[in-house]
Amino acid sequence: MAKPRPVRGVKPGARLAPNARRILAVRIDEVFEHDRAVRDPAHVTELHDTRICFKRLRYLLEIFGIAFRADLEPFLEEVKAMQDLLGDIHDRDVQVPMLEEHLRWLEDREADAMQAVVAGAAARRRRAGPPVDEEAAFRRFRARLDGARRGDERPGVLALIARRRRERDELYARFLVEWEGLHESRFRERLEAAVGIRR
Amino acid sequence: MARAWDVHGLRRDARFRDAAGRVILTRWREMMSFRDGTLRGEDIEELHAMRVSSRRLRAAMDAFAPAFPPKSFRRHLRVVKEVTDTLGDARDLDVSIEGLERLLPQMTPDERPGIEGLIERYREERRAEDAHIHALFARLEEEGFAAAFERWIRSHTGVDVARLAPSPPEGD
Repeated sequence: MAKPRPVRGVKPGARLAPNARRILAVRIDEVFEHDRAVRDPAHVTELHDTRICFKRLRYLLEIFGIAFRADLEPFLEEVKAMQDLLGDIHDRDVQVPMLEEHLRWLEDREADAMQAVVAGAAARRRRAGPPVDEEAAFRRFRARLDGARRGDERPGVLALIARRRRERDELYARFLVEWEGLHESRFRERLEAAVGIRR
Repeated sequence: MARAWDVHGLRRDARFRDAAGRVILTRWREMMSFRDGTLRGEDIEELHAMRVSSRRLRAAMDAFAPAFPPKSFRRHLRVVKEVTDTLGDARDLDVSIEGLERLLPQMTPDERPGIEGLIERYREERRAEDAHIHALFARLEEEGFAAAFERWIRSHTGVDVARLAPSPPEGD
């Protein structure tokens, strides 16, 4: 996760507004730090970092809002919309590997259970000798083996992975439109002007 | 989502240090107001509200970090972060379980066992999270963290929690 950059020149004994301005200037800058990288859907880390930057900016606008005469509510809504959208993308980026891990977990559980069935059958054979009815014994063994399989759980998990990937693509397409919209509507310049930041 | 508590006495012309004390102590008390409900575990919204408040508290601490000595600030922030992270693990599972339960009717019959199995696994993991939450709050209680945190804020900002008297918004 992107660490917030240190803010120089904050004077705790001074008024809130000039200090808030200094802090906001750095945090606004951080939001646009990965402007080029986030235009590539594969840049998962930068997308996540940008989400965190929006989140920090949102909280700061809420906390420092009182220090400024301008109404920051419209900016808060824009920031929150971007944070939510990037959050939804991040959820998919986290969920897909988790579901893939779940598939591996199912396989491991299945392997363990089947191994136990085979070991149990071998132990019984050692204890009691070969069964009188080999065919019936094989049918029982096979039923136990089928019971240990987790194969019927895989289609659902695979379908969920496919669904999450599809959703991620759709969400990313929406993000690109919104991101461009922020630039076109001069979000940064408007916000900086509202809180009195001069670049 | 629970509304953020109003910060008493916070004015446009406040000093940065004074604002730091008022905002952080308000967010701190706001977060702790959900502790008992979270520990009871009867309503998942209590845990959610506590997590949201803990994130507001962290954000406030980050915003006002320059008002505090870096070393003790890091130590206190680490504990708050631990609260957020511990609650976050449980909350993520609550959200996942709810989402999968909503999704279940949309899945085909051959896909359902997989989703049901996944829900069961998350439920098991969620039960384990309760133990982590209880252990964390028991430890903080034992360490007297709450009183120490409030003293630390007062010593660096001059804001006393008893005089500030943070309280939930009317109607909550």
